[in-house]
Amino acid sequence: MTLVTPVIHGSHDRLDAYLKSIRQDLEKGLQEPFETLGNIHYARWILLEPEEADTKAGTHIGARLVFSSDFDGSEDDHLMGLVSGCPDLIDNMYSCCKEYPAPGARTAESRKEYLRRWRVKMAASFVGAPGRALPEVRQESELRNYIWNFIHKGNWTNLSAVDIHTKIKAEISARPEFQWAKTPVPLPRIKWLGMALLGIILLVLSPLILIWILLIHFLYERSDKPLGLTPSQIDEAHVRKLEEYEDLENQNQFTQVLIMKPAKMRVITLQGLMLFAKSLIKNLFVSGKLMGIPTIHFARWVMIDDNKRMLFFSNFDGSWQQYLGDFIDKSGWGLTGIWSNTVNFPRTRFLFTGGAYDEEHFLAWSRYYQAPTAIWYCAYPHLSIKNVMNNSYIRNELMQELSEKKAQQFLQRF
Amino acid sequence: METLELADIQGYIVRGYKHMMYSRYALLTVTDATAAKKFIRECAARITNVERHEKSNCLNIAFTAAGLRALGMKEKNMQHFTREFREGMTTPHRQRLLGDLDSSATEKWTWRGPSNEEVHVLLMVFGADKERALGYYRQLRPEPGSWGLKEIYQLDGQTLDKNKEHFGFRDGISQPIIKGSGRAGPANDFVNAGEFVMGYKNEYNVYPDTPLLAEEQGNTTLLPDDASGTGKKDLGRNGTYMVMRQMQQDVKGYWTFLNDQTKNADGSVNPEESIRLASKMMGRWPSGAPVVKYPDKDPGGLSDDDDFGYSDRDKEGMKCPFGSHLRRTNPRDSFEDNGPAESLKLSKRHRIIRRARLYGDPYEGSPLHCEPEGEVGLLFTCFNADISRQYEFIQYTWANYPKFKQLYNDPDPIIGVREKPAPGIEQNFTLPGTPVNKYITGLQRFVTVKGGAYFFFPSLTAINYLTTI
Repeated sequence: MTLVTPVIHGSHDRLDAYLKSIRQDLEKGLQEPFETLGNIHYARWILLEPEEADTKAGTHIGARLVFSSDFDGSEDDHLMGLVSGCPDLIDNMYSCCKEYPAPGARTAESRKEYLRRWRVKMAASFVGAPGRALPEVRQESELRNYIWNFIHKGNWTNLSAVDIHTKIKAEISARPEFQWAKTPVPLPRIKWLGMALLGIILLVLSPLILIWILLIHFLYERSDKPLGLTPSQIDEAHVRKLEEYEDLENQNQFTQVLIMKPAKMRVITLQGLMLFAKSLIKNLFVSGKLMGIPTIHFARWVMIDDNKRMLFFSNFDGSWQQYLGDFIDKSGWGLTGIWSNTVNFPRTRFLFTGGAYDEEHFLAWSRYYQAPTAIWYCAYPHLSIKNVMNNSYIRNELMQELSEKKAQQFLQRF
Repeated sequence: METLELADIQGYIVRGYKHMMYSRYALLTVTDATAAKKFIRECAARITNVERHEKSNCLNIAFTAAGLRALGMKEKNMQHFTREFREGMTTPHRQRLLGDLDSSATEKWTWRGPSNEEVHVLLMVFGADKERALGYYRQLRPEPGSWGLKEIYQLDGQTLDKNKEHFGFRDGISQPIIKGSGRAGPANDFVNAGEFVMGYKNEYNVYPDTPLLAEEQGNTTLLPDDASGTGKKDLGRNGTYMVMRQMQQDVKGYWTFLNDQTKNADGSVNPEESIRLASKMMGRWPSGAPVVKYPDKDPGGLSDDDDFGYSDRDKEGMKCPFGSHLRRTNPRDSFEDNGPAESLKLSKRHRIIRRARLYGDPYEGSPLHCEPEGEVGLLFTCFNADISRQYEFIQYTWANYPKFKQLYNDPDPIIGVREKPAPGIEQNFTLPGTPVNKYITGLQRFVTVKGGAYFFFPSLTAINYLTTI
């Protein structure tokens, strides 16, 4: 869910100070109610600064509070959870925003309705482990740890992999806390039919797409203005502010606020690519990798301000340098196709080449448009997306009858 | 292939000076910029470049960001050096990335920490033996009053005969080879010059970020134009960044831990098994022989074998564990789950040229011989054009980060273990095996960082230029 809420003119500093206090106090401020709700994987708040927006887009919009979350269940339940789980937090934040209910009129219902008003539809999103609810992620992690310990402490001499698998199965079956593990969960698979359909559609549209790309190239690309900075020239204070909130855990967050290029063709190109991305995500990127990048838990693109701006959010494993490097190494073309429709992107040729492959300028551009995240919550900082996926495979393979080879592969998962 | 201007590149980037058995690194601070520049100008003529093969002495020089400022570099020009270099190694974020916490915390450092005197210039003096190294240094150094520099610390290093480090392993075997440097080696070790020298294209086929002159100062006619065509003067060309870390090694702790993990049923030390586990963690045997080629025992002798990969021999990590120091800090042709060619391409974007020297008692550790006299350790230095993507990436993403590949709780057993992990955090080493993997739990840290800094390691041209600012 994404909420974009205008801040009352004059309340900006109060809100900023409050966000900072919550961040410093995350344990008490957020962790507890969020943990109790038990359905939020990730959440963050960002204070979109007006100056930045103004200078970069040439428009005049005040400061805004952006909330972004990844959760299980319905949006309605999620909103209800937020307002009933941490009403003070919501009040303190959103009373700095326009048209928040007056103190006397604040009920769970009125707060919820207020938040709902500011919902923004997303353009596309990616989930690393689709369908895995938070309680399952946690349960499966416990299961894996339990079996790991069991293997580590056991004596397995002269036993085959199948024997060991059988012993593990018996052990888990006997434990009351792991009864749920007897039922496997359906994990998404690549949908080849959908991919074939997508292929056919692309093939049919290919002459059109080709002409479109040529038009983009001759009408726009050649006169585009790239940012032209290298990493050393990005404002030091800006990067330091971003880094303050990085690498505190094994996971990190990334937020970008991008300005769309003004031409209508650019918006249409982006919308087309979002459609393309969505079908790839639905059919192909279903098991822990987005375009080959094996570290993303959740990612989302959102268009705001009448398609004048794009927000990008992601939650990933490892450092910024690794993440951005992976982007270039694994999916530079896709990333170039999408992001080159926003201003100041490194120079591209025919939509998909150049751009991100211009490593130095691309990294500088990424930092330049990155917005500091004010508050970030992460439900399982100690699990990588590979761990999450592997834990689900363990659960599913545990109760099966395995061949010696498969049992051996199962044991290698620990 | 681009042609390298070898005569303009300081020699230590390309050559390891292996016959220089003794070295003195003098950490200096500028007390009088004019006099210091005069001294540097005199040194400049003696600097060892790649082409000059010296028999008895070598000399190289490096500068910290504070040092360039102290010499008079204008702030606008400083801003074109990379942020990592300008900020130095001790920012809070960088401490997290590099794992400089607990006993390795920067406030405990003996040099270049927040409580130490500022390091400006590093003079690297090498000699065929101790006498010649120190004699050369004495000869270089003018009277204290006219020097313009003050010595605040000195780090003496040496190379042992068999090139072993204190834990007892042959070191410095795997090195990338700069394309165009004229060196020979396995084809997979050849890397584009721009990964290690500024002014040339890197493994992304673009020019690395380089300090361009933003504002006129000094004799700019000395400087070459920027290779990427901005029309500006390039201070970085033929230079690079040097990382230096003084790492104390707890030889006794290290072998005691390993002996403990592998002891016989009666509690006695099993040297063979202890060395075996140590080698699995390292990825090479004490002789230098790669574990992936000799999974069961050390073939003995001395080995400089660097011509191997993992994808054909050991996809599952059964021979050389994924978590081993060697395999994670250079995954070669087995990077994540990519194919061999793609893996090599990606691995080459995270290489460094290492130049380690020992300090303290010249001692070669082993299971039953592990009590050196006094403090011993490694003076680790490495060269890279992009500190963030090369050195810091290796230290964080490949060494400290416990989720490397498909692992859960496995930091690099040599350089990535946290001394005091957060509550509930395990630190293990996984030995893949059949039918089940073996796990070494409760890893301990045996390396303590005592000091460190990022340096600019300029070209000979830039050294001369710096004396004119």
